Amino acid sequence: MRPILRRAQSLVALLAILLLAVIISPVASDGSRIFLDIGNLTDILRQISLIGMISLAMTFVILTGGIDLSVGSILALSTAITAMFLTRAWPTAPYGSHIAMAIAAAVAVSTLAGAVNGVAIATLRVQPFIVTLASMIGLRGLAKWLTNNENIDIGFGRDVAARFAELFREKTIVIGAFAGAAAVFWTLLDRTVFGRHVRAIGDNEKAAEYTGLPIRRTKVWVYSLTGLLAGIAGVLYAAENHQGNPNAGVAYELDAIAAVVIGGTRLAGGKGSISGTIVGTLIMGVLTNMLRLNNVDSNVEMMIKAVIIVLAVAVQRERN
Amino acid sequence: MPESLLEVTGVNKHFGGVAALRGASLEVRAGEVHALMGENGAGKSTLARIVAGAVRADAGSFRVDGRRVTIANPLDAQRLGIGIIHQELDLFPNLSAGENLVIGNLCFHEGRWARFRRMETFCRPFLEQVGLTCSVREPAAALSIGQRQLLAIARALTMNARLLLMDEPTSSLFDDAVERLFALIRGLRSRGVSVVYVSHKMDEIFRIADRVTVLRDGQTVGTRAAASTDSGELIRMMVGRELNLAGGPRGREHAAGGIVLEVEDVSTDRLRNVSFTLSRGEVLGVAGLVGAGRSELGAALFGLDRIRSGQIRLGGALLTPKSPRDAMRRGIGLVPEDRRTEGLMMSMSVRENASLATLGRIERLGFLRGARESGELNAVARQLALHCPSTETCVSHLSGGNQQKVLLARWLLLYPEVLFLDDPTRGIDVAAKQDIYRIVEELSASGKAVMLVSSELPELLRCCHRIMVLREGRVTVIYDAAEATQEKIMAAATLAEAHA
Repeated sequence: MRPILRRAQSLVALLAILLLAVIISPVASDGSRIFLDIGNLTDILRQISLIGMISLAMTFVILTGGIDLSVGSILALSTAITAMFLTRAWPTAPYGSHIAMAIAAAVAVSTLAGAVNGVAIATLRVQPFIVTLASMIGLRGLAKWLTNNENIDIGFGRDVAARFAELFREKTIVIGAFAGAAAVFWTLLDRTVFGRHVRAIGDNEKAAEYTGLPIRRTKVWVYSLTGLLAGIAGVLYAAENHQGNPNAGVAYELDAIAAVVIGGTRLAGGKGSISGTIVGTLIMGVLTNMLRLNNVDSNVEMMIKAVIIVLAVAVQRERN
Repeated sequence: MPESLLEVTGVNKHFGGVAALRGASLEVRAGEVHALMGENGAGKSTLARIVAGAVRADAGSFRVDGRRVTIANPLDAQRLGIGIIHQELDLFPNLSAGENLVIGNLCFHEGRWARFRRMETFCRPFLEQVGLTCSVREPAAALSIGQRQLLAIARALTMNARLLLMDEPTSSLFDDAVERLFALIRGLRSRGVSVVYVSHKMDEIFRIADRVTVLRDGQTVGTRAAASTDSGELIRMMVGRELNLAGGPRGREHAAGGIVLEVEDVSTDRLRNVSFTLSRGEVLGVAGLVGAGRSELGAALFGLDRIRSGQIRLGGALLTPKSPRDAMRRGIGLVPEDRRTEGLMMSMSVRENASLATLGRIERLGFLRGARESGELNAVARQLALHCPSTETCVSHLSGGNQQKVLLARWLLLYPEVLFLDDPTRGIDVAAKQDIYRIVEELSASGKAVMLVSSELPELLRCCHRIMVLREGRVTVIYDAAEATQEKIMAAATLAEAHA
């Protein structure tokens, strides 16, 4: 019973914030509340989708008892590769396959970066914090080096890059990608052997070894999946912002970690859920939207978020 | 009438919705050894921890020397002269033996700076008193479990305890260490120190205790003088019925099923030239002092320790396990000594813990099939007489005996040819022990080979066809059960020349 109640607590927090957002929402000229406008609500979903996708993968990483600080840098690398591929490579190709190749290249490199993290963590037995701190620095450097530290603009004309941006900044595509990823990750965690292994390893790695679980393989997969989702988020970021930006995604890892812990996942591993992470992401998104609609200074917004993070985790703390 | 040192009445304690203590009481006189008995879950550990300030009671009155006191935290208890040796020893593994003795110790005025020489002179007499021969600078993690326990006792002694609570102190000690512990306790008593001795073990209680208090379901059933009661009465008080402790008679012969495991001249970093064979359907006991290489033997077979020389054959084929995973694939299972840190996932459910080693059987294309998982588990849970509210209960809410059964369930589901049980009955209650003995018999009857490590010699004599004795990483002798006696095993485990 109690775990259900505890999980519901973050849901209660979300509902409370939603209610507050409705109450204090500015009112449009026709008397309707701007917060409840369909356009506004879908905007919220689009805004949280990138961090949301990264948070899904981060949930798996944290469940194994690890952490991944490199997601922001992987995202930046992915935006850069997407934009470079679209604007500089293969000018004669048909649009469809050119776009597909650009996305495939960006996502493949990102997944590979995640896999390298995973291999280093699993075989060298260096702490995840250290390994991903190193790759956070190194991959940011790689993204800047590839682009000479310049944004690669994706135009608004009729060329392949512009067509890509037009398509992949659609709300339905962005929100759909998040929803799809959420469904896949929920299924992975709750319904598959892999998900069971992820939780078991984070709960008690020594016991997992004594039970013969494939610890190294599972960890490599978990970090690869994180690279994969950060890469997809990077592709969407490039479309949304019409550029490949080697300075994109700074501090995204911290936003993702915040969403995961607000969702009730234990930082030490072993305990947590995808549904919690989705709720955590929504709490952060609705909060941001509410404050911005009411013209709260963005610096004040950060301070309020800080308080929310600590409060959300404090009320979900295991009592004994 | 000797005056009472400690008087505790009306103690209540709830953990979540579960009542651990309901009006329990305890009265301890100065200079007596007072046993606190009860089945697992009766609340004896909780009561001891409340008196030591490690857990705070919901209600209850506490008197020391007749004065009302409050014990809200371990420092309060220390000031009142109450010390505790927890079952799960609460040492700092990375601090040295000396630092473990002085940290948080009101009797050692350390000041702001660590002064090693002063610490060493302070600590050495206490280490000598408990018979611990390690260096003051040795980190606690480098000590064996038995040595760590001695260190924990030394720690309580340094605090000038007048009342020492010991929570199942012999659960991981071999018989010679138990003797040393009892001598220590008697020495303390003669100096006027009271000892509250929490234990399951009937024979120990009659050997060491002056009086016995029995708890059942969180309530105090009564207190008896040890000299005027017997084990029958205490068991009746504990369970409300007579229990046959001896268990059913055991057929000593096993079906001659042929040799399944041959270990020839195997050495690892901690084993020296170990050789033995194991037949199908056989239960081979492994005896030895703490640190003699019992767990290390399991580590060698299970791919945890590298084999330096010699060879292992399983079913005739050469076996060089590189990892537990590898060993399991070949048909070797191991139930580790410490179920909480090496066995169970403490925040997972009974079902998830039990099925963890056999997920390959219940998956299709990587997806778990819940019905199949529950079906397999229910059969094994019945076989083990596992008591839990539901298979979805988190294992951390179960008693030690039931936790051990969940871990056994994991291995019964895998059903390996050779199962190495490393002290499976440590710290669990009598009824759960009987269930585990029965499981060992059933495994043996179905042709599986079992290696059983135990610190209790009667247990080995009861369950095993043969008993192998280890000393300092070597096999000293292998007895047939018919010729083995506690005295012979003890001699082989302790004396270098007994069987040379």
